[in-house]
Amino acid sequence: MRKLFIAAVAVFVLTSCNTTQALYSWHNYEDATYQYNKKATEELKVKMMEEYKKVIEKQKGARGEVPPGLYAEYGYQLYKSGKKEEGLGFLKKEIALYPESDKYISRIIKQLEK
Amino acid sequence: MKKIILFVFAVASLVSSCSTPVSMGKQYPAMYEEKPLTIAIMPPINQTTHAEAKDYFYTTMYMPLCEKGYYVYSPYLTMEMFQQESAYDAEQFIEGDISIFRKVLGADAAIFTIIKDWKRNNVGGKLTVDVEYILRSTKTGQTLYSREGQIKVDTSIDGGSSGLGALVGLIATAVNTAATDKVIAGRKCNAFVLSDLPAGKYSTWHEKDADNPAGKKFIKATVK
Repeated sequence: MRKLFIAAVAVFVLTSCNTTQALYSWHNYEDATYQYNKKATEELKVKMMEEYKKVIEKQKGARGEVPPGLYAEYGYQLYKSGKKEEGLGFLKKEIALYPESDKYISRIIKQLEK
Repeated sequence: MKKIILFVFAVASLVSSCSTPVSMGKQYPAMYEEKPLTIAIMPPINQTTHAEAKDYFYTTMYMPLCEKGYYVYSPYLTMEMFQQESAYDAEQFIEGDISIFRKVLGADAAIFTIIKDWKRNNVGGKLTVDVEYILRSTKTGQTLYSREGQIKVDTSIDGGSSGLGALVGLIATAVNTAATDKVIAGRKCNAFVLSDLPAGKYSTWHEKDADNPAGKKFIKATVK
């Protein structure tokens, strides 16, 4: 019983040090984009695009939303690889989810459509 | 009795490890006044001789800042824009007018980083990074947040205490250290330093963390 009490106090003290759940699920996004940025091969690009899809489709973070900038990055990559309509669609999704990105994303869309 | 004293000490050390005298609201008052929502990551200012540090470290700040609840402009997208607009050298902006980023991006604040150390020691089994972070308002130009971290990542492997074991350990340490990407140390540095950045709009802690304890302005740590 005493041991249980000690354990309970210890847990209480430790949890009082603010632990919070991640806002977003990133999957392997950080490593995949980093590797592609280091060495832009077709194979690494495929891996990166798969991670984008995962982050967009499988969100288990506290917010349950796609992280800022992710739709835009994915859309930009799709556009650059020839899937223009689909790419623009994702760029516009970024603005819809994060209206504060309007100025910047609209500028990117304008540049792409030039 | 001995056990009770030990327990009291353990609890006291745990409690004191979670508290510092200055609150986040007092240490970073401008953050709570201006409440920035959108942050642009500036290309790092590299004071080391390792040219690659700038490009690789640049993208590592994106995730931790998003996790803090901010809208962060994707560095992969802004990098191209900065290069086109000859803004890839953040030195020209760190003390100057940065309202341009408000006009062009809609950014409320811009985060500058100065890489002061970025090295690998294969024999000792250590990766070391030293980075200073400065968040400035694009509205008023004032510094909203600043902190510096010196983080060492220990990549050493213990081969044992015998002569041969020590040699094996030395070789394993050198191989492990050489194979560990230095960007890992950069990521850990972000996690340590940005841990007391007041939370942004998308965090559940937004406007609720002013009384939380702030960390020291300079943080030094060794992590495994």
